[in-house]
Amino acid sequence: MATLEPALSLRGDRRVRRRRIVNRAAEWLATIAALAAVAVLGIVVWSIAKRGAGDLSWGFLTKSLPLFGQPGGGIAPLIVGSAILVGIATAIALPVGVCIAVFLQEFASPRVRAPIQLVVDLMNGLPSIVIGIFVFGLLVYGHPENGLAGAYGLAIVMLPLITRATQEVLRLVPSAQREGALALGASRWRTVVGITLPSALGGILTGTVLAVARAAGETAPLLFATSIYANTVQWDPRHAMPNIPVQIFIWSESPDPADHKRAWASALVLMLFVLVTSLVARAAFVRSRRKLSR
Amino acid sequence: MTEEGNVHQTVTMPPMRPVDVAERQEAEPQARDTVFDIQGLTARYGTNVAIKDVNLEIYRNLITAVIGPSGCGKSTFIRCINRMNDDVPSFRLDGRVLYHGVDLYGDGVDPVEVRRRIGMVFQKPNPFPKTIYDNVAWAPRVLGLKKELDERVEKALRSAALWDEVKDRLKRSALSLSGGQQQRLCIARAIAIEPEVVLLDEPASALDPIATASIEELMHDLKRDYTIVIVTHNMQQAARVADRTAFFSLEVDDSGRAGVLVEYDETSKLFTAPSDKRTEDYVTGRFG
Amino acid sequence: MRVTFQEELDQLEASLQEEGALVLRVLRGALNALAQRDVELADEVIAFDDDVDRLYLEIEEGIQSLLARQTPVAIDLRLVLAMLHTNLHLERMADYSVTIAKLTKLVADVEPDPMLLQSLEDMGERAEEMIRVALDSLANRDLGAAESLVDLDELIDRSNRRFVERVVEIVAEPGLREWVLRMVLVSRTLERIGDHAVDIGEQVAYLLTAEFREFTDASHPERA
Repeated sequence: MATLEPALSLRGDRRVRRRRIVNRAAEWLATIAALAAVAVLGIVVWSIAKRGAGDLSWGFLTKSLPLFGQPGGGIAPLIVGSAILVGIATAIALPVGVCIAVFLQEFASPRVRAPIQLVVDLMNGLPSIVIGIFVFGLLVYGHPENGLAGAYGLAIVMLPLITRATQEVLRLVPSAQREGALALGASRWRTVVGITLPSALGGILTGTVLAVARAAGETAPLLFATSIYANTVQWDPRHAMPNIPVQIFIWSESPDPADHKRAWASALVLMLFVLVTSLVARAAFVRSRRKLSR
Repeated sequence: MTEEGNVHQTVTMPPMRPVDVAERQEAEPQARDTVFDIQGLTARYGTNVAIKDVNLEIYRNLITAVIGPSGCGKSTFIRCINRMNDDVPSFRLDGRVLYHGVDLYGDGVDPVEVRRRIGMVFQKPNPFPKTIYDNVAWAPRVLGLKKELDERVEKALRSAALWDEVKDRLKRSALSLSGGQQQRLCIARAIAIEPEVVLLDEPASALDPIATASIEELMHDLKRDYTIVIVTHNMQQAARVADRTAFFSLEVDDSGRAGVLVEYDETSKLFTAPSDKRTEDYVTGRFG
Repeated sequence: MRVTFQEELDQLEASLQEEGALVLRVLRGALNALAQRDVELADEVIAFDDDVDRLYLEIEEGIQSLLARQTPVAIDLRLVLAMLHTNLHLERMADYSVTIAKLTKLVADVEPDPMLLQSLEDMGERAEEMIRVALDSLANRDLGAAESLVDLDELIDRSNRRFVERVVEIVAEPGLREWVLRMVLVSRTLERIGDHAVDIGEQVAYLLTAEFREFTDASHPERA
């Protein structure tokens, strides 16, 4: 049985072999880069965990801050304080951010949208220390330190994140949906409230959760606003509120090695919180995106 | 008369169906009310003229089809009728679109009110990501028609020939329906607010032949209660479904290309003996 | 556009004209057989009708297939319908020619009356001419030619009147009686062939004007 010799050799000549080598090398390079990134995260997580895990205990999470020099104690006030600060910040940033995003995506004409969009993006890049000083100068100078001012600072950090995330999800809502609603005789804002926003809810939630994770770790806005506080749980935001990031800073400056250990442990708590919320947010976003893009 | 090996089998056919001739003749009223009187309609996007100087009347309880080659302005035309072009930034309209004598583009006319009376169904089915019930009930709720909502939803779904298929799963997501069902849901949604006119922009072009046939059947039923205008690029569909057909074509002159109305007549006349050569060329497939 | 479709239409029309040519041959054969009392020729004519029938079926099926697959509209539809009717008229004309051949066979042994025979020949030639004009009017899309068929039909009527006068004169002769009866049928048949040619003309007029109109017949001379 005669076999046909292909006119072109399918085996490949030197050029093809070189191409293959280059291809393989590029693949390897990309893989190594990815591994490096993962490695960095891994090193950070591991080193914090190694230093902080030892002190982590249920008591650590529930007791009040130790008095200077005393052993033991816990970070319960810090957890409560951070939660309240972030809670207030979210309560401010979420509605404002969503409204800005809705305005930009649904109502603004291109001429109005461009400058406002620019402002939001600039806000995103605002250094957190600048936010801290601004909040200090506006709200704290001449008054006692208070948690509210810190919360405002955190809100400024969260606002562009929530706005951006909301904008992205609003963009994902197919325009066919809006057209369908308009064709039924619904007004523009009814369409937004009844059709567009509900579809975007998943993404808005995700964006908020990510902003929360970010705000929980922001130190600079709180540094001048709420860094001098008592060592027990504080519920009233009009007073200075204890919070995790500032306390980590304070402890790291302390001569007492026990404070250093506490700092590592608190850092671990904070990091775990950020990791978990980021993962949950990511999963929720992927699910909501799948639901929208049919 | 069989050839070698060729067995002719007889087909069983049911006997002739009796038709009440008198009743059929009575069902075709001669006089027609005018719903839309379109005068000198010229629509522009910026400097591009999409359609130029369109004059025609659309009559009540008829299906009027708009056909023509791609880019001749059929969609633009139909969207002018319910002011859906308003959201396009560079859109400009000259001429008058009289709806029962009232110019839809006149001062003080609210586009939202216009669309309440003149509904639209789009090419690709676009149900809301809500339950089947909520899809139909949303607009009535929003527009304040909250009384007897259940009855309203059922009536709309029945009119859209969808009730029997979904009555046991009204609370399921609308996205779980097939393409043809989704499109019928969009039709039900549109008629739930009891408009006078329903505009359909290529409603079956995204559907398979069986779903298409069900939509066409539906239109025959709907025209009893509504006035229907349908844009279609499928000539045979217009031939099957429409009472009157408008043929648009592109006219090229020194100022550019614009869509113009070439011929507008009873469908059977347009497809057996069109008056304009351009129409003849288009429907016989010699061009376009 | 639609080149395949156009080719199909052209093919069908060509087949139709071919059928027309066959019909003319069949008719000529029958007329010759009649004039020459040629029984063999008459048999050939009868056999030849099968060819016409075969072409008739072919065209019928071709039209059916075209309608199902191509959904012709407007002028294409009118052409297809005109071809459908013309096909039928042509097939009928061939059948009538066969009738003439059969009648010829029945009385081939009788000595014919020359005057009567001459009238029949005249009528036959008129019929042939009408078939030619009808086929040409279709091929050339000639409305004038189609409408002229009415006048040609008038000529057949005149020949027929002379025929009847002669029949009245000789019907009493005993030896010719059966022959005369048969010849009356032949003349009737030739008239019908003429009518079918006029019908083809009506189809051509319908094709060109999109209006179906019965051409004037003897009973309505004003409706020209």
